[in-house]
Amino acid sequence: MKPLSAFMKKEYLEAARTGRLIILVLLFSLFGIMNPAIAKLTPWMMEMFSDSLAESGLTFTNVHVDAFTSWTQFFKNIPIALIAFVLIFSDSFTKEYKSGTLLLALTKGLSRYKVVLAKTVLLLSLWTLGYGLCFSITCGYTAYFWDNSIVNHLFFAAAAWWLFGVWIISLIVLFSSLLLSNTSVTLCTGGIAVSAYLLSVIPKAKAYSPALLMDTNSILIGVEKIDVYIKAILITVSMCIICISASIPIINKKQL
Amino acid sequence: MEILAIQGLKKSFGSKEVLCGLDLSVPEHSIFGFIGRNGVGKTTTMKAILGLLKTDSGQICVMGEKVRFGQTRTNRHIGYLPDVPEFYSYMTPLEYLHFCGEISGMDKTDLVTRSNELLELVGLGQERRRIKGFSRGMKQRLGIAQALLNRPKLLICDEPTSALDPVGRKEILDILLAAKEQTTILFSTHILSDVERICTEAAFLDNGRIAMQGTIAELRSMRPSDGFIIETEQKETVGTLIKAFGGLKATEGNSLTFHGSKERFFDIMRYAAENRIPIQRIERIEPTLESLFLEVTK
Repeated sequence: MKPLSAFMKKEYLEAARTGRLIILVLLFSLFGIMNPAIAKLTPWMMEMFSDSLAESGLTFTNVHVDAFTSWTQFFKNIPIALIAFVLIFSDSFTKEYKSGTLLLALTKGLSRYKVVLAKTVLLLSLWTLGYGLCFSITCGYTAYFWDNSIVNHLFFAAAAWWLFGVWIISLIVLFSSLLLSNTSVTLCTGGIAVSAYLLSVIPKAKAYSPALLMDTNSILIGVEKIDVYIKAILITVSMCIICISASIPIINKKQL
Repeated sequence: MEILAIQGLKKSFGSKEVLCGLDLSVPEHSIFGFIGRNGVGKTTTMKAILGLLKTDSGQICVMGEKVRFGQTRTNRHIGYLPDVPEFYSYMTPLEYLHFCGEISGMDKTDLVTRSNELLELVGLGQERRRIKGFSRGMKQRLGIAQALLNRPKLLICDEPTSALDPVGRKEILDILLAAKEQTTILFSTHILSDVERICTEAAFLDNGRIAMQGTIAELRSMRPSDGFIIETEQKETVGTLIKAFGGLKATEGNSLTFHGSKERFFDIMRYAAENRIPIQRIERIEPTLESLFLEVTK
C-alpha cells in the first residue's frame, strides 16, 4: 500500500502546486454563488429590460422566484462546471505519457494498476469536492433567501447528477489508458457523452441512458418518480465499474 | 555472475527490424559500454530490459529473473536513467527522491539518509529550489541520484552524456565512476572517448546484433596493430625510404607511417640497417575503439 499512498500523495501535491486545486475551488464556488444570485436578481433584471421589451410588444407581469428557480439554475450551470473540470483534469494520464515522468516511477517497480487507481481516486475526490462545494453554497444561499423544502427529491437529483460526473470520469480513465493524446481523450469522452444524450432522445432508450441522470427538472417539480431513474443508475454504475476495471489490463499492455 | 543476460532478442517496428537476435551478457561489477550509432536500437534494448516494450521474441533475465512486459517486478533490481530524464517539476530534488523511495518501498530512516547522501554525491545537496528551474546537467545528476536510490544491482544509463557540455560530461562520468563501487553499470553511448575513459567492458551493436563484445583490452587486441610510425634522423632519408617502399607515407617532420604486414616492416628495417639510415623513433600505432567501431560497423 505504501507505493499507492505515495503516488496518491504526489497526485494531490501536483493538483495543489500546479494551481488546479485552487482553480477548481474558485470555479465551483463561483457557480455555487451564481445560482441563487441569478435567481435573486431575475426580477430586478426583468424590470430593467421591461421598458425596452414593452416597446417590442412584450409585457411582463410580476416575476415570481423561489428555491426552485435557484435549483433550476444549479442544474443548468453544473454541465458547464463539468466541462471545465474535464478540460482541467483530462490530461492527468496523457501529460505523464508525453513528458516521460511516469516512466521513471514505473522503473522503480510501481505497478501500473496503482497509477490507474491513484488517478481515479484523485479525479473522483476532486469532482466530489467541487460538486459538493457548489451544491453546499447553492443550498445555503437558497435556504437563506427561500425555502428548500418546496423542491422535491433535491438530494436524489443532486446525487444523480454527481453520478453522471463519475461516469464521465470513468470514461476519461478508460480513454486515457487507450490513447496517448489529451485531445483524443477529451474528444472521445465528449463523443460518448453526446451519444448518450442522443440515445436519450429515443423514448424507448431514454430509461437506460446515463444522460437521463442529467434530466432532473421533472423530478424536482414532482412530475417523475425516483423509480424512473433506477435502470439508468444501475447501467451507469455498471459502466463506471467496467470502464475502470478495463483500464487496468489495457494500461498493463501499453507501450510507454 | 551475470547481472543481465539477453538471448535472441528480436523487435520490429512495422516492417523495420531493429533488433534481430541480440545476445548480450553483462557481468557483475563492470561498467559496460553499449556502443552503437544513433537509431541502431540501444534505447529499444534498454526499454525491453525495463519491461516497457513488448519484444517479438527472445529472453531477458535480470539477476536470473525473467523480465515480463508490463509487469515490472525485475525493476526492483534496476536503476534507470533515461537520455532526457523528466521529473515532476513542482517538487524539490529531496521531495522527488522521497517520492521515489516511497514508491520502491524503502524504509523511511534509510530513505532520508540515502537521499541526503546521494544528493551530496551528485552535487545537489544544497539545492532547495524546485526542479522546474534546473539545467539539463542538473537534471541528469538528479537522474543518477534517483537511479541509485534503492541500491540497484544494475544501473542502466541511456546516453547520459550525449546532450551535455564538456564540463557536464566530465561530472557525469566522474559520478558513474564513483557509483561503480555500489553497482554494475550498463551505459549506452556513441561517444567512444567516454567508453575508453570509464568502461571495463563494451559491446558494439550493429544491424540489430552484437557485432563484438569483451573487455576494452580484449576488444583492442581483436584488431591487429594499425601500423607503425618511423621517424628518421635526417630529413633527406625520408625520400629514400619512400622511393624504396611504396607503402610508406610521409607525415610531418621526418616521420613516415606504415600500414602493412610485419614482414614488410622487417624489410624496411633491414633496408635501413644495410643503407645505414639512422632511425630516431619507431612507434606502433595502437588500434583505437573508434577505428575498431568504424571497421565493425562498415
